[in-house]
Amino acid sequence: MSDAELATPFRQRAGGAMKDAFLQEALTIATTKFIGLRREAFASFPEGEALRDQARAIKEATLQRLDQHLETLISNVERLGGHVHYAETSAEARSIIVDIAKRTGARLAVKSKSMATEEIHLNEALEAAGVTPVETDLGEYIIQLAHERPSHIIAPAIHKTKGQVAELFTRELKRPAEPDPEALTLIARGELREKFLQADLGISGANFAVAETGTVVLVTNEGNGRMVTSLPRVHVAVMGVEKVVPSFTDLMVFLAILAKSATGQKLSVYTSMVQGPRRAGELEGPDEFHLVLLDGGRIAQIDGPLREALSCLRCGACLNVCPVYRQIGGHAYGYTYPGPIGILLTAMLEGTPAVRDLAHASSLCGACADACPVRIDIPRMLIELRREVDDRKIAPWPERVAFKLLAGLLRRPWLYRLAARAGRIAQKPFTRGGRIGRLPLVFGEWTRTRDLPPVAPRTFQERWATDRDLRA
Amino acid sequence: MTGRSVSLMVTCLGDLFFPEVGVSIVRLLRRLGVAVDVPADQTCCGLPLFNSGYHADAAAVARRTVELFGDSEHVVVPSGSCAWMVKHEYPGLLADTTLARTAVELAARTHELSQFLVRVLGVTEFTSAVRGRVTYHDSCHLLRGLHESESPRTLLGNLEGAELVPLPGADECCGFGGSFAVRLPEVSSQILAKKLANVESTGADCLVACDAGCLMQMGGGLTRAKSRVRALHLAELLDGGR
Amino acid sequence: MTTRAEFLDRIRAQVRRAPGRFQAASARRPRHAAAEAEAIRRELAERWPETLEAFRREFEGVAGVFHRVASVDMVPAVVDGIVRERQARELVTWHPTALGADLAPALGARGLDVHSMPAAEPAGSAERERLRTIAARADLGLTGVDLAIAETGTLVLVSGVGRPRSTSLLPPCHVAVFDRTALVESLRQVGVLLEAWHGDGRAPAGGASINFITGPSRTADIELTLTRGVHGPKEVHAIFVEQPIRG
Repeated sequence: MSDAELATPFRQRAGGAMKDAFLQEALTIATTKFIGLRREAFASFPEGEALRDQARAIKEATLQRLDQHLETLISNVERLGGHVHYAETSAEARSIIVDIAKRTGARLAVKSKSMATEEIHLNEALEAAGVTPVETDLGEYIIQLAHERPSHIIAPAIHKTKGQVAELFTRELKRPAEPDPEALTLIARGELREKFLQADLGISGANFAVAETGTVVLVTNEGNGRMVTSLPRVHVAVMGVEKVVPSFTDLMVFLAILAKSATGQKLSVYTSMVQGPRRAGELEGPDEFHLVLLDGGRIAQIDGPLREALSCLRCGACLNVCPVYRQIGGHAYGYTYPGPIGILLTAMLEGTPAVRDLAHASSLCGACADACPVRIDIPRMLIELRREVDDRKIAPWPERVAFKLLAGLLRRPWLYRLAARAGRIAQKPFTRGGRIGRLPLVFGEWTRTRDLPPVAPRTFQERWATDRDLRA
Repeated sequence: MTGRSVSLMVTCLGDLFFPEVGVSIVRLLRRLGVAVDVPADQTCCGLPLFNSGYHADAAAVARRTVELFGDSEHVVVPSGSCAWMVKHEYPGLLADTTLARTAVELAARTHELSQFLVRVLGVTEFTSAVRGRVTYHDSCHLLRGLHESESPRTLLGNLEGAELVPLPGADECCGFGGSFAVRLPEVSSQILAKKLANVESTGADCLVACDAGCLMQMGGGLTRAKSRVRALHLAELLDGGR
Repeated sequence: MTTRAEFLDRIRAQVRRAPGRFQAASARRPRHAAAEAEAIRRELAERWPETLEAFRREFEGVAGVFHRVASVDMVPAVVDGIVRERQARELVTWHPTALGADLAPALGARGLDVHSMPAAEPAGSAERERLRTIAARADLGLTGVDLAIAETGTLVLVSGVGRPRSTSLLPPCHVAVFDRTALVESLRQVGVLLEAWHGDGRAPAGGASINFITGPSRTADIELTLTRGVHGPKEVHAIFVEQPIRG
């Protein structure tokens, strides 16, 4: 999201999203469908619950020896003839990749879907260096043509109608396109096939990397992951350090639950395991393989309050069940990663002040924690972020004053009772027919759409203190 | 019948806005032979402070509450969120204080109302105070915090004089979320609108929940829409005389 | 530029500071993977018909097309049928040593244009280019199968000499030929086999890419409408040969 857009308060962006009729329909249909698919997949998979527990335990165990597992991974990747690079920041990651592109004389780069490359804003840097990046995941291809960012972790163009896509293709590709998904897919296939075959550089993310064998694992449905890692002469994989798993045995646990959580499939169509550059005798495969290990704020959280968020598999299940995401979609969040986990990742990558408002973009309902395949307790960490916002006094001062008053009131029963009596008096002009329809100030935010019950003529405790027959 | 005694934690919203819920609970427990007392000077469990990140203040309020209920044999709470706060967050908030152990013990003795009736007392049959069709909304803290979806349904399903019909999306948030409702009122209201559309689709006369916050949100939306559906707390329905 | 030492040191420092939280345990790896893999194979040899049936069900569930023939010399007829149905005639195949049988003559005899992938590394980039163009132009790609996973209807193909990645990727139709020796029941068993291939066991072919293929390429990125053949094949066929291919 641009700085100008980010300057718009979150609440306003959310309001705008709720006025977009197509987005609203698309969100309802898509999230409802994903929820149903995930439920069905796990309903017929009784081992699922135990595997989720196991997956969580593996992630935690891996974090406890992350340095050792990464060392094993690095030595294996190098043994296979690959190169490993270390990026502390997004800027460093960009510069590493641009250097590889320049050194290998790349003019055209094809990219498979990678949130990590979105996170580091790679495409602009490549373009500035004279390398044309082409997104090849259909959803990413669409939003690249539209100059937008993804609005969902696994379905980036969920917010676009087929009519909008057809217009986009017609305009950008200079060829007539029918508003029919089959036809549009065929167009994209043709356009991108050309690019796959011509590209000098393939850039991917990594869903996992198996330390024991130096294997990078890509999970896709379209086949672009396979193209990107096999056809161009150079392959660069960008990976957050937390994606490493110790062994193939561990990997299988994650594969068993990842696709089920994301789309309800038992497995995604393609799980591609890349083990270094092309070997002797192989027809295809890159001459050079590079793995860029990305910190970007992750390392600091190993001993930080957001540590659990490092277990995220980027499946999108939390987005689909979040009552807030379901109303506003991904763009309103304003950062690379939307939805419940997105708030935590944004805090990790951009710092807590960046989520001063986003930390409250949650009713703390807990549906996300329920849906998360690795049982990340997102609400707990949202509360921690809110606490940090308060402790660091980043919260707006009227709010801090209001909560201080509330705290004072709740600790002093006489003040609490006084406030109840004051409320009874103050509410009189606003009470009609036993309810309150309109209130001033912040309370007006409630009454615009909902009635409020008035403070009772006698509170329960007042009745208990005086009604003989209640106590009897 | 039971010879038990409980202390009622009436909750701030219950005390101030829904005193009739507390009255219903006292009556229905008495009818079951349970002695009820109400420790004086109750205010709040501290959840609103906790959820917004004011943990030092929440801990101070928690301290008060633990001291108030320290001698209770059982504590019954007509709210999933307040019961959750006491059971799950109090021990952590007071871990480094002299009340650490008491907090843990209190957590074990504290029960949300439907859990107390079904799981502790083993009582599941009541006569409904309201006739007609009722439908039930799972409040988030009761469902996901206390892992309770059965007890309220058992009670409602066995209600003499009322018919329980399922609510589509019963486990979906109503949009209250405490201060969320006024921080992001447009989002909160849209979530509520979808919930109420589901409620209306059931044809129920009465919407039941176990949490005052949810009832304020949903009840406030129903009356604003001049709906014929009434939002009631579980306790009010169970208070139909035995 | 951050060096490896700096990077790992930072991680090490964080790891040392962080107390282990909740339950933490890596998966229990097989102690002797090759031996366990052998044991799995022996067990599966007994119940291959059930495994095959489970595979067929799952494979068809992901829109795979399943065929069954008695022996490998009946495969060309099936392939011919598939090719004709698509009004096509050009196909690429894995090299006979990778397939386990030389099907090119029989396919050619039916009037099909068959290009067998070579068993040696291409002489230069021009040759590599030529072979890639053929694969990109072909209507159908014919491969073997290293593992057929019943739990998910998945075909596992390892790349290597004579068994390029493009054969199962570039043509719009992928036909995979396998027999009972490829069948495995579960992802868990596959984990054991992968451990064996990389540890004390032997890997098939040993190319740099292992691909798990579960049905035809698909996407639902436009209005959640499912479409097939986005980049990879639009159709995937599996031909099961009752008589083991390699005798």
